[in-house]
Amino acid sequence: MKILVTVKEVATVEDEFEIEGTAIADQYLGADLNEWDDYAIEEAVQLQEDGIADEVVTVTIGPEDCEQTIRQALAKGADRAVRIWDDSLEGVDLLDVNAKTEILSAVIEEEDPDLVLTGVQAGDDSFGATGVSVAEHLGYQWGAVVNHLEHDLDDGVASVRRELEGGVEELTDVELPAVLTIQTGINEPRYASLRGIRQAQRKPLDVQGLDDLGVDDSAVDSDLELTDMYEPESESDVTVWEGGAEETAAELGDLLRDKGVAP
Amino acid sequence: MEFGLTEEQEQIREEVARFAENEIVPEAEKYDEEETFPHEIVDEAAEMGLVGSSIPMEYGGAGYSTLETVIIAEELFSYDPGIALSIMACSFGTEAIEAFGTEDQKERFLEPVAMGEKISGAAISEPDTGSDVSSVSTQAEKDGDEWVVNGNKMWITNGTVGDFFVVLCKTNPDAEGRYNGFSQIVVESDRDGFSADKITGKMGIRASDTAELIFDDVRVPEENLIGTKDAAFMQQMQFFDATRVGVAAQGVGIAKGATREALEYAQDREQFGKPIGEFQAIQHKLANMATETEAARNLTYKAAWHVDQGEDITKLASMAKEYASRVAVDAANEAVQIHGGSGYVNDFPVERFYRDSKITQIYEGTSEIQKNVIARELLGKGF
Repeated sequence: MKILVTVKEVATVEDEFEIEGTAIADQYLGADLNEWDDYAIEEAVQLQEDGIADEVVTVTIGPEDCEQTIRQALAKGADRAVRIWDDSLEGVDLLDVNAKTEILSAVIEEEDPDLVLTGVQAGDDSFGATGVSVAEHLGYQWGAVVNHLEHDLDDGVASVRRELEGGVEELTDVELPAVLTIQTGINEPRYASLRGIRQAQRKPLDVQGLDDLGVDDSAVDSDLELTDMYEPESESDVTVWEGGAEETAAELGDLLRDKGVAP
Repeated sequence: MEFGLTEEQEQIREEVARFAENEIVPEAEKYDEEETFPHEIVDEAAEMGLVGSSIPMEYGGAGYSTLETVIIAEELFSYDPGIALSIMACSFGTEAIEAFGTEDQKERFLEPVAMGEKISGAAISEPDTGSDVSSVSTQAEKDGDEWVVNGNKMWITNGTVGDFFVVLCKTNPDAEGRYNGFSQIVVESDRDGFSADKITGKMGIRASDTAELIFDDVRVPEENLIGTKDAAFMQQMQFFDATRVGVAAQGVGIAKGATREALEYAQDREQFGKPIGEFQAIQHKLANMATETEAARNLTYKAAWHVDQGEDITKLASMAKEYASRVAVDAANEAVQIHGGSGYVNDFPVERFYRDSKITQIYEGTSEIQKNVIARELLGKGF
């Protein structure tokens, strides 16, 4: 079985920052592997260690600068990496879900994996849609917000547990090939071992352009426009009850229900 | 000239920092207070391959060079020196086995250390043998196909947690010349006649285990002798450059950690209506700490790079060790000063850095010995 994991280097922000126009000023930004993708990689590597997967391939859309971050996945056990970059992507401010879907779908068609793992979302732009959108585009089944995957993918079916709102979980059987968007907490991501880091330097990292994938340059054009970015005013409100727990507990309960905190 | 690190080296630094922030920082105060060895953290570190990172790939290590080991030490020590030493010291003594051991010895001793299954140690100092290493009195006598070891070793890192020790013994009491007649013999801690007494009450690096070892007619097979009989001094001397550079890296790490803590505190702590970092008196302290740390780092990296080229750099290694340990002590001192009263209690890590830093001027050759070495080399005086 072949597993493809989509990975992304995301922007991280310091606690204190300033916004310039529609972006956070560069000096407050760092870069790291998307947190959700770290869990997706771990799940794929564990499937490989359990003898279920034969090959784990990562794919990313990003410039050369992100290779160090992407190699983290190779150091943790992925076999090889594909990086997509192109001059036409260079000047794009906002790479929207449609564009990512077209590009990633082209890679997936070429790689033909049995299972695609993505993070539920990216920590920086938080579209939270790419995995499902890719599945829809390719005609794959999908499972979103997966927090458990049975490591027995017999008969071409993935049994997953999905996290729903309000503390409810459901079990779903998803037919392969499928895309699963992985939720944090599904496993405990490992540290890259020093041996792994060393070996990762020699693992293949293949760079492809849009032409190589047969994707038209126009795919990166977006109908979305980022119009503003700001920090919302934060409000705080305090309610204090006088008296003992017997008389005030019910009032606290009412308030929590009113505010939508408790069901 | 090339001053940059490779992408791989940067990646090592980042992953080690990630490990230290998540696994070491939350536990550091506890292990310091309790003065206990951090087995759990060491096990996790072993899983990541931080233990025995310089052991060759074929024996389960990462086969990293002096420079990479320096990067790892710097990063770990910048978060907590006691736990950092506990991790880095798990392979003490293995350098001799790696360089002079037989294939059989390498498989027996290197592999389990690299896999985190065993902890090693190096036993050189004795109650009456500190800087004057040639006065070692622990003896090993041949009896049939065994060595019988008798004597005491003092200040031995990993003494009560180690599984085996590379012990410097006198094997030829009649040898001429003060550096002749010593051998390195591996003694396993489960041999009859071996015992270890934990030394408590250390000022700093309290998580790291230190003990006195007692050898009372301890018998080990003759194949436990490493390299050439009676030639241990010549064998061990060639590691001085690397081990001194290693302690220099510890100093750079402590200075870096102290500076990081002081910088953060100076931006948070407000007095007279503004953060104390706005005052020039504090700014100049921070500027000095950062500058001296950078200078110590460059000296240390340069020395490590030369070691990796296979060059003999006695003077440079001693310079790096002496200077970086001095910078560590100075930076930790200033970090406490910037913290004021808060720096005098263990609410903040700088109090620990202050106590931990001192050892870097003492072990692996005191600052005074390093200066003697530097001067001797400058003046062209022999060994």
